[in-house]
Amino acid sequence: MMARVTTWWTILRICIEERLVYRADFALGTLMRFLPIVTQVFLWGAIFAANGDTRIAGKYDFSDMIAYYLLTMVGRAFSSMPGLASGISLDIREGTIKKYLTQPIDMVGFLLLNRMAHKLVYYSVAIGPFALVFWLCRGYFADGWPEPLVMLAFIATLIMGFLLGFFLEAAIGMIGFWFLEVSSLLFVYMLFNFFCSGHMFPIDILPEFARRIIELLLLPYLAYYPAAIFLGKVPLEEIPFRLSVQAGWLLFFIVFCYYMFHRGVKRYSGFGG
Amino acid sequence: MPMIEIQGLTKSYRVYQKPEGLWHSVRGLFRRQYRDVHAVRSIDLTVDEGEFVAFLGPNGAGKTTTLKLLSGVITPTEGTARVLGFTPWKRENDYRRRFALVMGQKNQLWWDLPAQESFRLHQQIYAIESSQFDRTLAELVDLLDVAELLGRPVRELSLGERMKMELIAALLHSPDVLFLDEPTIGLDVVAQHNIQSFLRYYQEKRRTTILLTSHYMKDVAALCKRVVIITGGEIMYDGSLAGIIDGFGGQKIVTLLFVDDNVPSDLSRFGEVFDVQPPKMRIRVQRSRVAEVMAAILATYALEDVSVEDPPLEDVIADVFNRASHDNGSGDSTQPNQSSFTARTR
Amino acid sequence: MNGTRPSYLRVMLMFARNSLVRDMMFRTNFIIQSISSIGWVLMNLGFYLLIFQYTPMIGADTGWGKFEFFVFLATTLLVNSTVQAFFMPNANEFGELIRMGGLDFALLKPIDTQFLVSLRKIEWASLANFLFGIGLLLFSLAQLDSRPTFVGCLLYPVYVACGIAILYSLMITLASMSVWMGRNQTLYDFWFYITTFSRYPMEIYEGRFGTPLRYTFTFFIPVLVVINVPAALMAKPLDAQNWPLVFFALWATAASLAGSRWVFTRSLLSYRSASS
Repeated sequence: MMARVTTWWTILRICIEERLVYRADFALGTLMRFLPIVTQVFLWGAIFAANGDTRIAGKYDFSDMIAYYLLTMVGRAFSSMPGLASGISLDIREGTIKKYLTQPIDMVGFLLLNRMAHKLVYYSVAIGPFALVFWLCRGYFADGWPEPLVMLAFIATLIMGFLLGFFLEAAIGMIGFWFLEVSSLLFVYMLFNFFCSGHMFPIDILPEFARRIIELLLLPYLAYYPAAIFLGKVPLEEIPFRLSVQAGWLLFFIVFCYYMFHRGVKRYSGFGG
Repeated sequence: MPMIEIQGLTKSYRVYQKPEGLWHSVRGLFRRQYRDVHAVRSIDLTVDEGEFVAFLGPNGAGKTTTLKLLSGVITPTEGTARVLGFTPWKRENDYRRRFALVMGQKNQLWWDLPAQESFRLHQQIYAIESSQFDRTLAELVDLLDVAELLGRPVRELSLGERMKMELIAALLHSPDVLFLDEPTIGLDVVAQHNIQSFLRYYQEKRRTTILLTSHYMKDVAALCKRVVIITGGEIMYDGSLAGIIDGFGGQKIVTLLFVDDNVPSDLSRFGEVFDVQPPKMRIRVQRSRVAEVMAAILATYALEDVSVEDPPLEDVIADVFNRASHDNGSGDSTQPNQSSFTARTR
Repeated sequence: MNGTRPSYLRVMLMFARNSLVRDMMFRTNFIIQSISSIGWVLMNLGFYLLIFQYTPMIGADTGWGKFEFFVFLATTLLVNSTVQAFFMPNANEFGELIRMGGLDFALLKPIDTQFLVSLRKIEWASLANFLFGIGLLLFSLAQLDSRPTFVGCLLYPVYVACGIAILYSLMITLASMSVWMGRNQTLYDFWFYITTFSRYPMEIYEGRFGTPLRYTFTFFIPVLVVINVPAALMAKPLDAQNWPLVFFALWATAASLAGSRWVFTRSLLSYRSASS
């Protein structure tokens, strides 16, 4: 057990070092993250300006919208996995996947640790600007901090969002064992992700029938639900239900991802790599 | 007017250290360590029209850097060079139209398309007149025997076939100067041989000035009369192949064939005994002592056969490289060697 | 032996042809790409249809009602699809090549390096969006109350071209900077974020923070000019207030192209070939 922990720690450490090498990247990247929000703020400002004081879908006014977008930034900070699926399919295509098969840790676990390292490093540097922005925009959070239990649910949904995003994209990457070109599928996924995860707009402003359909998908759990829970847009009694649905999806994708991995490796070895 | 004139050409650049360990990585965000690499140190060289010159040297000696400087791909830190009267790193289009650079294992052709398409693109870029293009292409394709391969995507070709296509692409515009950087590296013996024959034939016919870098002796021996040895960014030797042995081969190899398998074991006082396979034995003997050693051995032992040979070129050159790296390791030398060797050879 | 300059047009046509041949070799990929990029456009369209259910206009009294805004959107498609087809893959690759030392082949050719590097590969699949943009433009114009002027229609393609040129200049400047700045992902992100500003009518940038932003992105990094000027020419009748901007756009285009050329040339000086 101790040996395992040491191994994992070493891997985590190496991944962190690797990330720190590109420093110009870092400095700019953290600043850049907030720019899309700026345009969204102005857009919604203009939308509300023509609209008067009415709330959109009876739920969101201007402050709510801004607060919502800021929170989806947090949600996406946890659940977005840039380069994961394409990295996996590239490794498969180029044969570098072999190195994972001989390491003391399985590929999925390694990648998970790698992602954790990436996010830890990235956000330990980025937490400064994040906190600053949130503090500057604290006026938009009309209701302030949510109750402790809701806060707990918020954190739970964020963590599950990270794992869910990881296993979902890793599973997509595993398709590289069967098809050479994963990038088109990935693009389609990104498309739906952007639209249906709540990143673009709050899911509950959609007309009824569309909202029902999208809520059934797992994608809103990656950005919309953390934000909506925090802002109190999800009724208290619904929260445990939503958390369990998210957990259910997570479990499914963990199993699915590993299943794909094992089937893929078998197929891959059958072909001699 | 010489085709290529280099004077005092120097290229150094800064390499940033990759820090080890978490602490140093964080420090690396604020302050980076670096070291200076001197790839080429003040070299002088003159090449006349129609010469076929080889640059020989170990890895990292500066051969490729020199070629890249002469192609204008990189700019020097100091010094001058003129090729065909142009300064290469000005990258004038008139210059670029008249030379070509081919790098072994580096592909300039479109990967997914047949070589034919890349050639046609070349034709447009170099503004080669149509009938001349057809003629030149036909000739090159014939010489290299790749007619059936023209329509196949480049990615489907073998390494040797790809190299041939790269050569064709480079020669389509009939350059006056050709730079070849390790053109046969990674190729099998047959492919190497083919390319060598082609280059020899092409050069004889066209009188193109060619600079070839390699660390394969066979390339050099097959193609070039003039060899320039570069180590540690400096020219160690500039002259003929045979001259290397005269200049550097300080030993000869004496092969002794005894009458029976009873070979003596005390011959090490004559030289280095390095190969004993009774009844044969081989000794390395200092040049100056060969006559004396031969006399002594013949007087004492019964021999069936004796031969005295020069050491293989590879060994001599490897020795030169080794010696040079030791010299360079012990502080910055200001080329005391170059003058003595170049003086002897021309 | 060959003392002549290449015909840049012919070389361009060769690039186009080779890229098309290559794209057709990967036909399924081509089709999937075209479809997914249209899918992206449809999603955006869906978003705005949703928005216009809740509001009649974007920004109070700006004149950007539903179909005016769709003209704006169509212009966005025309500009962005062209940039994506002709310049995006090349600029990305250039950034990688100049950073990793892979530009040797380009520096050896007797042709302008910027031309070679910017137009080598063409992504034909992105033109699906271009066609969609034309369709959306025509449809939306038909729905408008006021028709665009004749002059407006003539100038529209000119200003779309200017917009493309400005975006191209920004792109190539950023890509060139990878030679000094290391890994290029941040620059690509920077590009994306900056151009996000160009996708909305400039009128939305109002107020204490908005106005300085509007001025910065009009006069300093002129991305707001890219879509706003041609779209306004078509969707909103031109009043005296707007003409200065129209003239400015021409100047901005010339300045951007010149500036990016300068950065490009400087970046080549710092180029380090990869060791072999």
